[in-house]
Amino acid sequence: MKRLTTIFLSVVIAVAVVGYLAGMLDGIPNAEGMDQHALVTSLDTKAIEADPKLIPAVTYAEIAQTAMGPTAAWSNEAKALPSAEYDLYTKIEPSEADKAASSALRASRRAYNGAPPIIPHAVENTTDAACYACHGQGAKIAGLRASVMSHQFLANCTQCHAPPAPKPFQNIDSKVDSSFVGLPAPRQGERASKGAPPTIPHSRWMRENCNACHGGPHGWAGMESTHPWRTNCTQCHAPSAALDQMPDSDAVPMLPPLDVVTN
Amino acid sequence: MKTLNTDRRQLMKTAAMAAAGSLVTGGVSLPVVNADQAVGELPAGEGLSWNKAPCRFCGTGCHVQVGVENGRVVAIAGDKAADVNKGLLCVKGYHVGGILYGNDRLTKPLLRKDGKLVEIEWDEALDVIAQRIMKSPETFAFYGSGQWTIPEGYAAQKFMKGGLSNNHIDPNARLCMASAVTGFIATYGVDEPAGCYQDLDECDVLITWGNNPAEMHPVLFSRVTDRRSRGEKVTIIDIGTRRTRTTDAADDYLEMKPHGDVAIALGIMHLLIENDNYDKSFVEKHCNFRALEAATPTLKGEAITEDEYRKRIAKYTPELVEELSGVPAEKIRMLAGLFANRDRRITSLWCMGMNQHTMGTAVNSLVHGVHLMSGHFGRPGDAPTSLTGQPSACGTVREVGTLAHALPGGRLVAKEDHRQQCEEFWNLRAGSIQGVPGYHTVKMFEQFTKPTSEGGDITTMFVQVTNPGQTLPNLNKLFNSKQGLEDKFLIVSDVYPTASTELADLILPAAMWVEKNGVYGNSERRTQQWFKMVDPPGDARDDTWMTIAIARKLFDLGHEGMKDNDGEFIFSVKDETGKEIPIWEFEHYYDTNVDKHLFEEYRQFTTMKHKNLAPYDEYVKARGLRWPVVEQDDGSWRETRFRFSAFDDPFVSEGQEFEFYHSTSQDGRAQIWFHDYTPPPEQPDQEYPFWLCTGRVLEHWHTGTMTRRLSPLNRAMPTAYIEMNPQDAKAANIRQGETVVIETRRGKTELPVWIDGRGRPPAGSVFVPFFDETKLINDCTLDEHDPFSKQPDYKKCAARIVKKTAAG
Repeated sequence: MKRLTTIFLSVVIAVAVVGYLAGMLDGIPNAEGMDQHALVTSLDTKAIEADPKLIPAVTYAEIAQTAMGPTAAWSNEAKALPSAEYDLYTKIEPSEADKAASSALRASRRAYNGAPPIIPHAVENTTDAACYACHGQGAKIAGLRASVMSHQFLANCTQCHAPPAPKPFQNIDSKVDSSFVGLPAPRQGERASKGAPPTIPHSRWMRENCNACHGGPHGWAGMESTHPWRTNCTQCHAPSAALDQMPDSDAVPMLPPLDVVTN
Repeated sequence: MKTLNTDRRQLMKTAAMAAAGSLVTGGVSLPVVNADQAVGELPAGEGLSWNKAPCRFCGTGCHVQVGVENGRVVAIAGDKAADVNKGLLCVKGYHVGGILYGNDRLTKPLLRKDGKLVEIEWDEALDVIAQRIMKSPETFAFYGSGQWTIPEGYAAQKFMKGGLSNNHIDPNARLCMASAVTGFIATYGVDEPAGCYQDLDECDVLITWGNNPAEMHPVLFSRVTDRRSRGEKVTIIDIGTRRTRTTDAADDYLEMKPHGDVAIALGIMHLLIENDNYDKSFVEKHCNFRALEAATPTLKGEAITEDEYRKRIAKYTPELVEELSGVPAEKIRMLAGLFANRDRRITSLWCMGMNQHTMGTAVNSLVHGVHLMSGHFGRPGDAPTSLTGQPSACGTVREVGTLAHALPGGRLVAKEDHRQQCEEFWNLRAGSIQGVPGYHTVKMFEQFTKPTSEGGDITTMFVQVTNPGQTLPNLNKLFNSKQGLEDKFLIVSDVYPTASTELADLILPAAMWVEKNGVYGNSERRTQQWFKMVDPPGDARDDTWMTIAIARKLFDLGHEGMKDNDGEFIFSVKDETGKEIPIWEFEHYYDTNVDKHLFEEYRQFTTMKHKNLAPYDEYVKARGLRWPVVEQDDGSWRETRFRFSAFDDPFVSEGQEFEFYHSTSQDGRAQIWFHDYTPPPEQPDQEYPFWLCTGRVLEHWHTGTMTRRLSPLNRAMPTAYIEMNPQDAKAANIRQGETVVIETRRGKTELPVWIDGRGRPPAGSVFVPFFDETKLINDCTLDEHDPFSKQPDYKKCAARIVKKTAAG
């Protein structure tokens, strides 16, 4: 009997302790970003070796001896960054394959040619400064490319560029059932003759910075200009008055033909 | 396509774009363009034509250029010639073309037979409606919309009040800006803002009163914030009940308790008087003081002396205002100091926060009062500016007067001379128009959903261009209770299945936006015209045509009201030879421009209240014109940017700097009102401890029936949510993304939680957007409304949040 009591009491105490600990674990809401686990949760060195972005955890005792600093990924990629400044005079040979790939990626982010592209990455902060940090000058790091803004600075970026779903709702199926088919991007301008500079086949509105796509260090592969050192694009490449919403362009006004008398 | 603009542009022909389709194939994920789209089906850009139209969504009234190829809209561009948006749009506007192409468009009339919807032909549908009206014309009600085009609203108005002698016509705008109207009328004697969007370009201080334009009117908001990028200094002060994206851009954020705006406005005026730094010259020359009559309060009120005004407002000290509004007394002093400075131009901006308010008329009048008393009125940049949420709330509802108590051009059914004028314009027999206002929205639906045996005297309801099954407050009482009432008949004209078609007995497929001709009127008095550019799908047809075709059925059935004094059909349209065009037959509807005929007829009504409109053809040429539009000696038409200001308004008398020529006191003066603060009708208590506020988000417009069918927008905001403060979530043990039950005394719904979401509500309050038809927050909202405007308060009621496990 006494023994049974002891066992009973032990069980009760064990249950209470487990319950208490379980209770402690509960009850804390995870605010935005707080639901992410620490980068390494166990000493799984395989994962660390496989993904150089992970930082191996060390014990408190080891902290003093451990070098803190960029992750392995950063160090690796840093070496891969362009060794010198962007060289304007490197020979550029745009490839059709690159152009197709770039065009497909661009198209995947637009409902039609001319639509403001959606934001393809998660955004935690929607202030203009946050966007401008990368997209003001453009950036290329670790295989990621932040496009340069193709238009002048405008406030309220998310007014036009739609972000992905908010974090708590990212698993919701947002597919729509629509038959809308958007206008695709133009492929090339018109050349008067072989070797002549092509016309600009798209509107220049919101695309004032030609280098955002066509050249400079952050342009799209396959769409680069072969002569990025030239600075006055429209000197040679004629824009379209119609596409730029200039006044009516149905007919070019001309003087009447000469009144020539023939016998 | 003869309806297209004659000066339409054939663009992009020179742009070699052949076979461009190959660009969007490949292994990448295509969230926007359909991944399985065959290359050959893509538009090539050959023969693309562009034409102007106002955007289909909010009241800003941006113009878009619509790119059409092979009878389909394929692209949208911001219209650079448009003064409103100067070439820029918001994310909804850029994707507006896609709203036509949801795969579930309604294309056939559907009649509920034995509980099931059956496809029928239009003629049968019209018969069903006409028979029901013929049987009981006085129990028929027409529920319309601030998205009605001006001709749609005008046709409905004439059909109901003139033809059927029935005043039960009201629009959804009753739920949206009725209090703005009563505020304007009480203050100036005539509706709609005096200023225009130019105020946003010239103000030094922008005050947003319970308003989040960064999301709801983004093009107008970035018009202000872009000035900062150009190096100008604009101070933005955000007065609100939660932090929003507008707060992010604000220099100062004053967090108020719900209903606190009334106290804040009173507090500012109190200090202006107390410190003796109000604009004495402006008040002496141009203002009177006014308060509600003690016995039966009306919008006209009674005159009180300045002394009396001082006495009444004296108690609204900064300290009392702090207690009522939660805004610190020193911030009230800061605001009063701002208004006391005449050198800085101040624009106030508001929309639903002040309108969806049980003291809506009062708070609208008080904020106008703040501007009048301080003299911040009538100079560019000095303006009390009320925005609208729908594209033609101003044009169709407020100007055409599609409200239960109104007639076109600012007239009232209660006034005999106004009724007579309308009967004359319409060539109807004297006494055709009834003198008693019809039911306002809330009352109309009460009477419709109440069994006939219990006095529910609306039996047939026709709903056009709106979705009351999602937007009415307290849906369980005002809409859902229609279910099972055998003798009640709901007709819904719409473009997609909606929460309203769920209970409809007859569904009519409608044409939308550029599938028809149209005219809208935006928030700055700008009337905007567009032409039909593409055909509607299947048997979808214009709403104006529906109204005319029903009227014609009644005419054929011998309804006397459908005949004018000469025995002609009230919507008769004749060609140049004097032969009647059968516009009630849809094949002949576009034989002429019916919109133009209706608009020219309507135009006659607009001069009485000096809201003069130009001929239809002037609007074809322009990107909208702001009324009053007055003909000049040289035959050109001049629009008006600033009403009541002598430098711009042609109707101000010689020698006056400002003149309120429709003053309710008939002396050219505006009224500075006094209203006492009264607490909201329902406040959080132990049982329901949270404030519930509802509203919109940037990506979705109103009930989402259009925007939720657009991939980029739905991707950005796939679900409604309940926005919570982290403290509240922690206390209730609620986690990010967890689905909870929100309950009020009227109903409940389930929503996922977004702790500190798009906006950040203070502890003790939650916010829920209403766009999601699968999570109807209006099952929970309150149908208490403003005593004058009859507009319900969607912004505050008491709610509780229950974990799903606990709720069972």
